Amino acid sequence: MMIELWTRLRYLFTRRKPEELDDELRFHLEQAVEARLAAGMSAEEARRQAMIEFGGVERTREQCYEQRPGWWMGTVLQDVRYGLRMMARSPGFTAIAVASLALGIGANTAIFTLAKSALMDALSVAHPNELRLLALVQGDPSEVPHDSWGNFYNDPQGRTIIASFSYRAYEQMRSRDHSLGDLFAFVDIDQFGHLSATIDGHAEVVTGELVSGNYFDGLGVRTVLGRPIEPADDGVPGAGAVAVISESFWERRFNRSPAVIGKTMDLNSTPITIVGVAPRGFTGATSVQTPQDMFLPLSMQPVILPREKGSLLSNPNIWWIQVMGRRQAGVPEGQARASLAVTLDQAVRATMTVDKDRTVPPLLLLPGNRGWSYPARELERPMPLLLALAGLVLLLACANVANLLLARSSSRQREISTRLALGAGKKRIVRQMLTESLMLSSLGGAAGLLLGYLGRNLLPHLLSSNWEATAVSTRFDWRVFLFTLTIALLTGLGFGIGPAWQATRSTVNNGLKDSGITVTHRRKGLAGKALVIFQVSLCMLLLVGAGLFVRTLVNLNAVDPGFTKTGLLLFGIDPPALRYPSPKNIEALRLLEERIGALPGVESSTVSKETLLGQSISNSDFIPEGQPRNSGSEQQALYNRVGQSFFQTMRIPILNGRSFDFRDTTTSPHVAIINRTLAQRDFAGRNPVGLTFRTEDPEDRYQIIGVCADAKYGWIRDEPPATFYLLYTQQKDLHRGMTFEVRTKGDPRSFIGAMRGTVDSVDKDLPMIDIRTQEEQIDSDLAPERSFAAVTSGFGILALVLASIGVYGVMASAVARRVNEIGVRMALGAQTNQVLWMVLREASWMAVIGIGAGLGAALLLTRFLGSMLFGLKPSDPLTLASAGLMLFTIAMLAGWIPARRAASIQPVQALRHE
Amino acid sequence: MPPTTDLLQGTLDLLILQTLVAGPMHGWGVAQRIQQVSKDVLQIGQGSLYPALHRLEYKGWIRADWGNSENNRKAKFYSLTATGRKQLETELETWERLSGAVGLVLGRIPEAAS
Repeated sequence: MMIELWTRLRYLFTRRKPEELDDELRFHLEQAVEARLAAGMSAEEARRQAMIEFGGVERTREQCYEQRPGWWMGTVLQDVRYGLRMMARSPGFTAIAVASLALGIGANTAIFTLAKSALMDALSVAHPNELRLLALVQGDPSEVPHDSWGNFYNDPQGRTIIASFSYRAYEQMRSRDHSLGDLFAFVDIDQFGHLSATIDGHAEVVTGELVSGNYFDGLGVRTVLGRPIEPADDGVPGAGAVAVISESFWERRFNRSPAVIGKTMDLNSTPITIVGVAPRGFTGATSVQTPQDMFLPLSMQPVILPREKGSLLSNPNIWWIQVMGRRQAGVPEGQARASLAVTLDQAVRATMTVDKDRTVPPLLLLPGNRGWSYPARELERPMPLLLALAGLVLLLACANVANLLLARSSSRQREISTRLALGAGKKRIVRQMLTESLMLSSLGGAAGLLLGYLGRNLLPHLLSSNWEATAVSTRFDWRVFLFTLTIALLTGLGFGIGPAWQATRSTVNNGLKDSGITVTHRRKGLAGKALVIFQVSLCMLLLVGAGLFVRTLVNLNAVDPGFTKTGLLLFGIDPPALRYPSPKNIEALRLLEERIGALPGVESSTVSKETLLGQSISNSDFIPEGQPRNSGSEQQALYNRVGQSFFQTMRIPILNGRSFDFRDTTTSPHVAIINRTLAQRDFAGRNPVGLTFRTEDPEDRYQIIGVCADAKYGWIRDEPPATFYLLYTQQKDLHRGMTFEVRTKGDPRSFIGAMRGTVDSVDKDLPMIDIRTQEEQIDSDLAPERSFAAVTSGFGILALVLASIGVYGVMASAVARRVNEIGVRMALGAQTNQVLWMVLREASWMAVIGIGAGLGAALLLTRFLGSMLFGLKPSDPLTLASAGLMLFTIAMLAGWIPARRAASIQPVQALRHE
Repeated sequence: MPPTTDLLQGTLDLLILQTLVAGPMHGWGVAQRIQQVSKDVLQIGQGSLYPALHRLEYKGWIRADWGNSENNRKAKFYSLTATGRKQLETELETWERLSGAVGLVLGRIPEAAS
């Protein structure tokens, strides 16, 4: 067998001289003649009979040649060369086909790259698919009350999912429950503090995670230099003053010098020794897309990121860390989840004082292969829609190319018939045409890949705001290539099979006739028209989708947020806890408020804990005194800690009572302002001014001094929630800093320099964080809607272009077919207008049917979009009507050009073309 | 003369290999020998013979050399290779098993038991 293989391989590369076979055959013939001569025939007769019996040589030559190994490849090369010649001969056709495919495939590649980044890229750790992240479903008001810090997202079922636990609960779970192995914990420092690193005198803000001692072990990550964080580092709080830095940080700041091990740096004014460097590509466990610069033991939290309420490690009421484990062999996931839920319940009751009727939030196990990665999880819902839209665009492009191929195959009829007559097998011809289709789709695929590569950052850019780092970055790797290759192959086969099969169905005779009027042509015309109707209906669907999303965006932009959003500059100030222990931080902020308010050009300024429409909220118990308690979720309300001139700066009117003013100091009674929704919910019919309420802290009592108008809080889509406002100067503690809101006369951005100068005058080491205007902040809240509107509009425009090419193509070939008929009509006296109208009528009924079909599909499918829209129903008549009208107009324009040409046909010429 | 019977590709290969056991032969000689031995039943035309010979050559079962024929003309002589000999044995076995089975089904060969 091996010898056979070797022989075949040898013959693959050696070439036989064709004369050898001829010599051999000639010898054979001569022997046959000799044999007959010997039998007694005359020379002539011998020769004649021998030649008759010999038969045709050509076929033998071919068959001998076919026996060669690798012959098959030669025919493929032949097909490819032929295909190239065909493409070069009609460059216009090739250009349109390749361009259509490039657009369709490019769109799919771009969306796929985003989907892959967001949903498939895994952490670079050992066996990421075994990891499980512990999470909780939040929202039931009978839950154990606790302070939950951290991000959350809404899953496709609409549940609010958080992944924060208290350190003490984690310790209990870890020691008691091993159904997910040795649990480890981590938290992204950015969630609750800032890390400022001073290395060799140069200070910068860095990112990092606090991790448990078994974190690196649990993830299966080994350092490339030095050692990882070990359990010994995570013991006594403050004892493990070590850090592991990331590979990119090592390269950036230390130039990959091996001397980095043992080097000391100042982190938030604490000396930390670098003990290890993490491997390349390791971004921590928070997310694949947000790389962390360094990893510190959780035990360092009280020293580096202290909070007023004491060490977070020993506080059972603050839930702030993420917990992960690994699936163990032999433990089914359901069992692990149930066991951990019980353990969590026990841990909570062991560490916190909990009423018996309170429940612990339900525990979930999320796949941990992507880390916590809440921004990517949010993309899980709209991603299928985007993929479907991209698929529709590709379908449109394929229909276009199929139509073009059909039109062209009718003009290649003679060539194909000739080949069939010469003895080519039908399979060979079909293979030839499929090869051409595949070549087209490969070119289109290559161009599409390029487009996708160039545009790969478009989508993430749309999804993020311009002052934050991109939430989802895209990596172009082999999976994208594979995807594009597969799509290119499938589309090539898809649109190539139809025309190829159709081409060989015609009989040889018909093709060789010069005239074009045969039954087969009329049938072909129908296929082309059906394709165009299909294209028009797809286009209608995409246009309706685009229209709905664009109008949603417009509606959202026009929403009145309840405050004046123009002319406001926002930036954050976070006095570091070490230099500004309470109450010094409050004093610093107040001083800053004063100085900013005194600047020329500043109308007024204030601060707030939560930025309005900043996708972040605070909530608390709201218990009015002197009346029966509400039940359920109505015991809580959202709140915001704000400055004295908040309502004046944001221009939120006070409806009743008064706003905060000079009477409210740190020593005067604690006051609050509630909004109208809260007033109506808890004090219906009564005047709330003068009444008091309590929050979770039983010693804290607030008196309501005023009722303000409703204003939007966290997200622009939500109705203004029941909210109350407190003075930050009357608070004991501010976790992190506050956002400054400055109302300026004129463009807010022109005041940035002045602001920086003022901040420097208070403390030159205090950075301004996330400088933006309130309008930009709102835009970032609308980033998903904006990107959807942009993507669907882009697809809609693509669809329009492709559909109009389709209509034009079909009309052009329809006119070409009916040239005789038109000539006859004109010779018999038809006017130009009548001919124009006759052709246009054909285009118009195709468009109408297509639009109607698209309308039906739109009504059927868009109802699933209901939750994504705002201010309009999925069956919005205005959108449907305008989409249909636009499409009809474009289709008419596309059909008008060939119609004009038809009308300008000279009858004599037309009749001559027989 | 009766027309050439259609032969399966594999059977033709077998015949050629068997014919070449006797020694190197050119194409014409192979065709003549097969015709003689089969008593004129099997007449292989050049259209079937040479593609088969070339196929066997590309597989490495037979080898070709140019030489002089009996009447001093240049001809291409084919001979069995070692692999070819082994292959011949295998094919013979297969052929015997196959034809035996067909014969049984058609009732031409009495069963061993009876």
